[in-house]
Amino acid sequence: MTSRIFRSIVTVAAVILFVSLLFIMGVLYGYACDVQTMQLKDELSIAAAGTEKAGLSFLEALDAKNYRITWIQPDGTVKFDTHAQAGQMENHLQREEIQQALGYGSGSAVRKSDTLLQKRMYEAKRLSDGSVLRISASQKTLIVLLVGMLHPVCVVALLAIILSAILAHRVSCKIVEPLNQLDLEHPLENNTYEELSPLLVRIQQQHKEISAQMQALRQKNDELEQITANMQEGLVLLDRNGVVLSINPAARKLFHADNDCVGTTFLRVERKSEMTAAVEAAFRDGLHELKTQRKGRVYQFLFSRITSGEETVGLVILALDITETENAEQNRREFTANVSHELKTPLQAIIGSAELLENGLVKPEDTQRFIGNIRKEATRLVNLIEDVIRLSHLDEGVEMPKEDVDILDIAEEIAESLRLAAEEKKVTIQVSGQHCTVPGVRGLVFEIVQNLCSNAVKYNVEGGRVDVTVTKRGSSVVLTVADTGIGIPRAHQSRVFERFYRVDKSHSRASGGTGLGLSIVKHAAQYHNADIQLESVLGKGTTIRVVFPA
Amino acid sequence: MRNLYQEQLHRLNQELIQMGAACEEIIDLAAQSLTAYSDKLEEKTNQVGAVIDESERTIETICLKLLLRQQPVAGDLRQISAAMKMITDMERIGDQAEDIVDLIPKMSGSAEEGPLQKMASAAQTMVTEAVDAYVKQDLALAKKVMGDDDIVDAYFNQVKSDIIAMIAANPGDGEYALDLLMIAKYFERIGDHCTNIAEWVEFSLTGIREECQ
Repeated sequence: MTSRIFRSIVTVAAVILFVSLLFIMGVLYGYACDVQTMQLKDELSIAAAGTEKAGLSFLEALDAKNYRITWIQPDGTVKFDTHAQAGQMENHLQREEIQQALGYGSGSAVRKSDTLLQKRMYEAKRLSDGSVLRISASQKTLIVLLVGMLHPVCVVALLAIILSAILAHRVSCKIVEPLNQLDLEHPLENNTYEELSPLLVRIQQQHKEISAQMQALRQKNDELEQITANMQEGLVLLDRNGVVLSINPAARKLFHADNDCVGTTFLRVERKSEMTAAVEAAFRDGLHELKTQRKGRVYQFLFSRITSGEETVGLVILALDITETENAEQNRREFTANVSHELKTPLQAIIGSAELLENGLVKPEDTQRFIGNIRKEATRLVNLIEDVIRLSHLDEGVEMPKEDVDILDIAEEIAESLRLAAEEKKVTIQVSGQHCTVPGVRGLVFEIVQNLCSNAVKYNVEGGRVDVTVTKRGSSVVLTVADTGIGIPRAHQSRVFERFYRVDKSHSRASGGTGLGLSIVKHAAQYHNADIQLESVLGKGTTIRVVFPA
Repeated sequence: MRNLYQEQLHRLNQELIQMGAACEEIIDLAAQSLTAYSDKLEEKTNQVGAVIDESERTIETICLKLLLRQQPVAGDLRQISAAMKMITDMERIGDQAEDIVDLIPKMSGSAEEGPLQKMASAAQTMVTEAVDAYVKQDLALAKKVMGDDDIVDAYFNQVKSDIIAMIAANPGDGEYALDLLMIAKYFERIGDHCTNIAEWVEFSLTGIREECQ
């Protein structure tokens, strides 16, 4: 703007300068011409008067340098000329000024000379004898005059332009200065040109609109952030080039990403090839799913392309932690497989024995044994089914009536019932401790103690011991079943409470367990909010504590 | 014109990250093969190895194109020249991991739990961290990787002395011992390549190339 103002001022000044120069010169030139004409006329009349009186001798006596005098006879022949031989000159009768002088007594003419640079002025006067006296002088043309004046004019113009440039610079700066100092943050507080106020008012309005819109946008963004921040699931938004637009804290934790990953390529966040391939596939096909393990947990990643019309705008990645579901699914599958297998085994034995009996292949003395086998296997089957039913009851979480149960009483009762089996294995059972009651379901507490004790006997060594103690620790009651048995290897310790899980898969049937005992213990304990602690050293024995809260 | 340039630089970065990810994958496969070798693992390793080789060629092409057509200067030039050096190291990591997996089935016994496993996981950590240092342009992490090489070297010495003891105790196991030593050496080399990568990361960030001791 400054330069524009500057340029206009300088241009205007230059144009005015030139126009006025030309105008003044034109006027001056005209004036000079007039003066010269007047002088010529005066000189002519003096010469005419002289010639009338003295004739040719007057003219010959004249020393004319600046002008030329010619005396022309009425027939046009030249009688005398100050600058040439009269005889050699042509007839002047047809010259304009001569004609005028012959006609009207005086005449004048201006003629360009051959070179254009000069022009000649002619004044003629008829003398009393009818001859004509003519005087002429050369005059410089306007162009010559201009060329001659070019030098001073240029100097003046240059000076004027420099001066005007300096002034113009000052002026333009002065004009623009308030504009430069406009405070656009607070447009209405400016005190400048009145002409700017509509603009400033408009700016003020737009300011308000923009800040309102920004506010709304921020609020929306905050809302989204709030919602996604509290999501358990990881959420990542990518634009169409795979640049991260937004990533919520859950996803950030999952990918170990820092805060400044927003705005960078997703590869910076996660570079595993399966993930890269999945993102590519989702961009291509629209939807993609990936199930993968990370740090021991199973995650399901859902990729979904976002399109607007025909165009792909971005991609949403949703990460779900499906470890629990996956485990539950796995357990259920295993349980079903195990149950069918466990149910089938005794049935096979029954069918086998029955078939032999049916076909009469059994010796009469063995019949009793075979029937006994069938009964034993059938009992096993019933036990198994009962265990399964018990477990499924516990699974369903059916509310059972609670009462005060004395654990020591139960432990003694069970020790009594196991005495026989224990004696067979030469294992001694010792019950000690104090009478403590816990609020619970009698049947379930019985199951806990029964299963723990029978395991302690079953997996004991000959001459081993089982110590059952009931003690009070603070407000909670602790049931401890310690044996000197074979122990559980460390690798299996975390899994023994799973259904049908067995440490030694080959010998389980011999010991007669269903593989559900500890699972029932776990569920029954859970029902009472009791905590189970397992300590076991291979070959030394196992100690299981059940801590009942008061 | 410059837009295209930026795009190519971006693509170079992406390809490098992907190649780094492939390196992580291949050394993970090698470490897995060490404990639980299977044909499937070997097949997978060869696949990833092929991906790494292809990546190397792609990145080479991108780098040369960038150098020829865009005449990069300053930081960009450093990034591109560092990339060209880094891919060589990454490719070597891939090759060595493949060599490890090739060796394992020919061994007359499997590697038991011990310093070799620890060495494998230390080398694995180094690869991950070297790639991470590049991805996050993290100078501190790059320095850490350079220091971690000593850990791998220490494991190598430990494995070596274990093997010497083994041969002394049971000279019949010579072949097995040599295979173990080869594997340990490969892991040790992988550690060195990681150090190189970290040094190139440092160079691309600071312009200073660590003097080779």
